[in-house]
Amino acid sequence: MNKTKPYMKGVLALAVASGLALPAVTRAAGDEELAAMKARVEALEKELAQMRALLEKKLEAKADTQEVEQLKKEVATASSNAQEWKEYDSRVHLGGYASAGFAGSTVDGERFTPVQFAPILHYQWRDLLLLESELELQVQRDGTTEVGLEYLTIDLFLNDYITFLAGKFLSPVGNFRQNLHPAWINKLPSAPSGFGHDQAAPVAEVGAQFRGGVPLGERAKVNYSIYVANGPTLDLSPAGDEIEALGSEGAVSNDDDEFVFGGRLGFLPIPHLELGVSGACCSIAVAGAQEASRSYSVLGFDAAWKWRNLDLRGEYVRSRVGSEITSVAPDGQRWEAFYVQAAYRLTPFKLEPVVRYANYDSTHADQEQEQWTVGINYLFAPQAMAKLAYEFNDGLQDTRTDDDRFLLQFAYGF
Amino acid sequence: MKRNSVIAVTLWGGLLFSIGTTPATADDPARGDATRGARTWADNCDRCHNMRDPRDFRDDEWRSIMAHMRVRGGLTGQEARDVVAFLQASNYRQATAAPVAAAATTGGEEVSPGRGEAVYNQTCVACHGADGKGALPGVPDFTDPSGRLGKSDEVLLKHIVEGFQSPGSPMAMPPKGGNPDLTVPELRSALAYIRERFGK
Repeated sequence: MNKTKPYMKGVLALAVASGLALPAVTRAAGDEELAAMKARVEALEKELAQMRALLEKKLEAKADTQEVEQLKKEVATASSNAQEWKEYDSRVHLGGYASAGFAGSTVDGERFTPVQFAPILHYQWRDLLLLESELELQVQRDGTTEVGLEYLTIDLFLNDYITFLAGKFLSPVGNFRQNLHPAWINKLPSAPSGFGHDQAAPVAEVGAQFRGGVPLGERAKVNYSIYVANGPTLDLSPAGDEIEALGSEGAVSNDDDEFVFGGRLGFLPIPHLELGVSGACCSIAVAGAQEASRSYSVLGFDAAWKWRNLDLRGEYVRSRVGSEITSVAPDGQRWEAFYVQAAYRLTPFKLEPVVRYANYDSTHADQEQEQWTVGINYLFAPQAMAKLAYEFNDGLQDTRTDDDRFLLQFAYGF
Repeated sequence: MKRNSVIAVTLWGGLLFSIGTTPATADDPARGDATRGARTWADNCDRCHNMRDPRDFRDDEWRSIMAHMRVRGGLTGQEARDVVAFLQASNYRQATAAPVAAAATTGGEEVSPGRGEAVYNQTCVACHGADGKGALPGVPDFTDPSGRLGKSDEVLLKHIVEGFQSPGSPMAMPPKGGNPDLTVPELRSALAYIRERFGK
């Protein structure tokens, strides 16, 4: 019964042996696993450290991106602010011109001539309104400074072809007074005889005006101005019995209660050629005198042609005042002037020779003058030049109108 | 007194009529075109005064100046805006000129005198004239055998792209003739046309 089979003994022996050996085997396997796990943990720790470092880097990078975004916003704001000053509704611009010179003549001797400063202010609101004003500051013979308001207008751009302006404006009659008189534009140091202040050509008006331009086909066009203004005044001689000159500097008074109506039409059949006709008329009376009105009219023609380096221009103007038998100054008067001028630019040398002929007729013999002027300009820049000229004047003997003059002027437009 | 009232009524009536017949409000005008502006500028400004260099003033200053010149010179509103566009396109210097100069040295695209003729007649003709002899003081005569076309294409193209002031000339040619939209191949084509047309 207790008799165990031999193979069973072997099995039992093996089981006992295995039972004894198993803890040892298990212990050995646990050490390996532990080592492996330890290595793995270390690897994981290393990996974690790397990931942490990477994360920190990424966080840093994220901070950089935010900074860049912030920077972009700041740049955009700065750009917007930088653009703002270019795109504002109201803009101011100061331009103008200045001149200084020297003159020599028999009557007046040699002297530095009046220094002139003429700032022009533009104050613009959108493309709708423009205030433009030119002051004229000029040092006089006695050292005092004379200040004048050459013009001041508020311009309303009604549409592309019509501008309405009101205020004191340069007379649209002719072209010299309204466009060519500034020192940096006028090619000679002096105005043509008859086109100065209180001569044949009116200088300025106080009133209202429509002006603009209209294209005619592809290259031809017309420009125009129509105005109503207070008009000129009659300046009497010291004796008070003769009209000596027309006061046309733009008076705000209108004692005779008469307005002047006038305008100019310029026709440009081809570019660089302009033909203009202008005029004005009204009734006029001696200020302060209770007398009947008389007629006043002014008529002008002007032409300008530019061909490459050659500049040709000319102008005619005639002012007339009718007679009025009941007036303190009954006689009618006439002032008539014209000039023609040629200038040629010698480009490589920045030189520009100029020649001008002017003639001024008047019912007053002491005002009449025939004038030849030759000159040469040196252009430092298109807007800055030195002008040297000589006037041959022929007028009433032993008066200024008969006195030849040497003129030197430095002019700068800005 | 009665007549003065008529004048006042007529004046204000004319003003209101003008406003009422305005085709496009002055406050919302069509934009200026630099190419048209170049021609208007060349056709009109020297009627009275020497041409000013576009770089004499900033962009915003040119707007006020041209508003003044619109009144003084009898220009239409569109003409004034076109000239402003041209002057503003012409008065830049380094910021855009440098990359353009670099681009000028790279070629490769097709150069065609026919294409150049269109460019010349749209942009260059304003100052250089239809006959290539120069329409304004200081502009070189392309037909002069010893003149400007004696220089190499590279030199001339650099001058065209960056702008150039001839010795003795009162003002400079603006970069790309004042038309910033022109590409370097178009300018090469214009140069080819100039050589073919005037360089004989």
